[in-house]
Amino acid sequence: MLEAQGIRKAYGGVVALAGVDLTVRAGSVHALLGENGAGKSTLVKVLVGAVTPDAGVLRLGGKELTVANSADAVDQGIAVVSQELSLFPDLDVLSNLFPMREYRRGPLVDRRRMAAKARPVLDELGLDIGLDDPVEDLPLDQRQLLEIARALVADPAVLILDEPTSALHSRETERLHDVLRRLRKRDVAVVYVSHHLEDVLAVCDEVTIMRDGRVAVPSVPASTLTVDRIVQHMLGDKVAAIVEERTQQGEQVVDHGQPALRLENVTVPGALEDVDLAVPCGRVVGLAGIAGAGHRAVLDVASGVTRPTRGRVVLPDGSPLKAGLRGAISQGVAIVSGDRKRFGVMLDKPIWDNIGQVSSVAMRRDGMFIRASRIRERAGEHVRRLGIKTPSVDQEVGMLSGGNQQKVVFAKWLEAKPTVLLLDDPTRGIDVGAKAEIYNLFRELADGGAVQLVSSSDPRELAAVCDEVVVFHEGKVCARLSGRHLDAHTLLEVMNTGIPPSDGEPDRETAGRHAG
Amino acid sequence: MSGATVSAPTPTEPSPTAPTQRNGFGRALLAQEYLGVLIATLGLVLVIGAFYPRFLQFDQLMAILNQATYVGILACGMAFLLAMRELDLSVGSVYALTALACAMLADSGMNPWLAALVSIVAGGLLGLFNALLIQYFGLPSIVATLATLAMFRGLTLALSDGTQVLGPPVDDPFSQVISGDVLGVPVTGIVLVVVAVVLTVVLRATPFGYRVRSIGSNPDAALFSGIPVNRVRMQAFVLSGALGGLAGVLTIGYLGAADPNTGSGYELLAIAAAVIGGTSLAGGKATIVGAALGAVLLGVVGSGLAYFSVPINWNQFATGAVILGAVSLDSAVRRRRRRARAGSGVHL
Repeated sequence: MLEAQGIRKAYGGVVALAGVDLTVRAGSVHALLGENGAGKSTLVKVLVGAVTPDAGVLRLGGKELTVANSADAVDQGIAVVSQELSLFPDLDVLSNLFPMREYRRGPLVDRRRMAAKARPVLDELGLDIGLDDPVEDLPLDQRQLLEIARALVADPAVLILDEPTSALHSRETERLHDVLRRLRKRDVAVVYVSHHLEDVLAVCDEVTIMRDGRVAVPSVPASTLTVDRIVQHMLGDKVAAIVEERTQQGEQVVDHGQPALRLENVTVPGALEDVDLAVPCGRVVGLAGIAGAGHRAVLDVASGVTRPTRGRVVLPDGSPLKAGLRGAISQGVAIVSGDRKRFGVMLDKPIWDNIGQVSSVAMRRDGMFIRASRIRERAGEHVRRLGIKTPSVDQEVGMLSGGNQQKVVFAKWLEAKPTVLLLDDPTRGIDVGAKAEIYNLFRELADGGAVQLVSSSDPRELAAVCDEVVVFHEGKVCARLSGRHLDAHTLLEVMNTGIPPSDGEPDRETAGRHAG
Repeated sequence: MSGATVSAPTPTEPSPTAPTQRNGFGRALLAQEYLGVLIATLGLVLVIGAFYPRFLQFDQLMAILNQATYVGILACGMAFLLAMRELDLSVGSVYALTALACAMLADSGMNPWLAALVSIVAGGLLGLFNALLIQYFGLPSIVATLATLAMFRGLTLALSDGTQVLGPPVDDPFSQVISGDVLGVPVTGIVLVVVAVVLTVVLRATPFGYRVRSIGSNPDAALFSGIPVNRVRMQAFVLSGALGGLAGVLTIGYLGAADPNTGSGYELLAIAAAVIGGTSLAGGKATIVGAALGAVLLGVVGSGLAYFSVPINWNQFATGAVILGAVSLDSAVRRRRRRARAGSGVHL
């Protein structure tokens, strides 16, 4: 049993944790929920020894626990899978599973014994990779599973999962949940931090909800909660700003004279085969598919990263897409990636500097000299419009929460006034409130006539925000879902089977049988 | 999320406070990255002056400024490269090769001013060569410029036959101007100041300067923002090479001759000067004024040692110790500042 009592932590004058209690029973999966900034991350950092609390006691199995640092935490049986991927990309899978804790035979590393320990854990997670594979070659979802495997090989008494499914597809998430259920039998105490509330309800036994550095709801059984109730508790008095559900609309016929982003007979060997696609201005179109189905390749082609061997891309103004990222961006294409720390922001720079990066810096739209004061002013407007929570535009982006960082990414692209937005998993790892605000932004941009292409690992998200979702299967468009066909369930089915739903319910069943 | 039909979004937070403008000269000065090196330089001058008042004489200080010019100019270029996570180890050799070129061209009868211009352009081309190696062979800049360090130096030795080559005569107007002074301030020192000021404006207020720092801060994000990373790298290396050329030309104007071994080890001094000045090796940040001041600090150390009659064979050791001291002091100050900032910052 893991207990935290009266944990307090303040940074400067700002109280991050104001006396928090948490009790996680051995053999239970305990959800820790709250909006970004509620104090979850700080609490997790205290539990794993990354942050020393100002006051409070930690107990593990009744014994008082002092954790000096993260390595110490692992030795004492607390393992963490953090939101940030922290693997060593140059090393192989096996070396990544035993960082600083290699099994040894004399002075040598005993790889055979390590492999014998690691293989069952990888199998349990359904991670079908070689132990010698270099980690840098693995896709993001497998890396995240590998992080989880690394925590599991240490046989922890307490396992803390901080947003573990942000890069996982639903099938992998399901697998992870199975593993958690098995850990429960082994008397492991699991702390599960996630923004996917439905996941939480599916797998967790108890739920603690935090708000503003305090516990708002202490350890209640998950069975007594619903997603709506949780959201209410998380937001407290604040009004839930949740996106308006798309009004059910009939199939819209695409008028070919209308301005649109068009892919004409695009072929990329090994990724796309003769794909024709038109995305009219003012529409939000989703791209779905299982990994490698080609939906992400569409974004690569439309952003100029990949040059198709055949076919071409035409922008809404009728001009063909220039080669290369820079060419595409100069023509009004914006690229918002879910991997914001890598592709989106400069963490060590202030907000205004980030916001000026495309328009003023890359495209030189301010001319030969850049006036910081002018960018600051415009940055201030973006901060207000997007509701970025920050004391000032001079704040370093690294100091902001994930949702606010992603809003800065949006701001930098909006500053460049794009006509085509390519959104690659744009809300990964962001809390509900910020997600809703970003969804509303999509609507606003659509009303402004922008073309938006969204790819997402969350089919519910696609179903909620898109006018239409194009499903890819083996490099080809296999279905275009809209109107009443557009729901997460159908989407998942079509993604996995590659068979479009025809009309009515019976067909959906047929598709299901094919899959089975 | 599903099934939640909800009202229009209402702003739940008060709108963020208006962007704050940093005002006031004093605060601006305090916020400068090069504050540490400025204090260290002044402090060291005063300490040496306390023991040997002669050190504080204007002429003496100006002589130090003159000596610091060459490394200082190279350090300004180096600061740009460090800011984008690149490194140019060939600057000392570029300096020697362009000095030789300038001397040989003037010696063959070319107008010295024209020879100087040609040499500076040649320096830029050498930088371009570095950039092309890096880009087309995919070499890390440290490896590519390590090779060209030897190549350019070798070329200098080969072309000069290992001996000094005389440049324009001392009574030539070219030499007169460059070795002259304005109100006692050496022209070379003035050039250093002008270079530092112009490059500070370039770094702080032009798209090129922003691009350099953006690339250093996050190369992938820079690429995905449409910044032409390769072109910017090429421009920065050409700048570094041209500054090497400028330093070489100044040497010819000042000394009147090119020694093929001149400037060996300057690449490391230039890096040290830039780092002492407050440029981070991690990229993203640079201060040109700091780099120039760093070179001046190294110059002060060099002459100070002579005053304290440190045996010449201990010179290098002492210089190294001072570099270490300056950098650790700066690092300590920076850590404290960062902690103060982290304390006031809020994870929202």
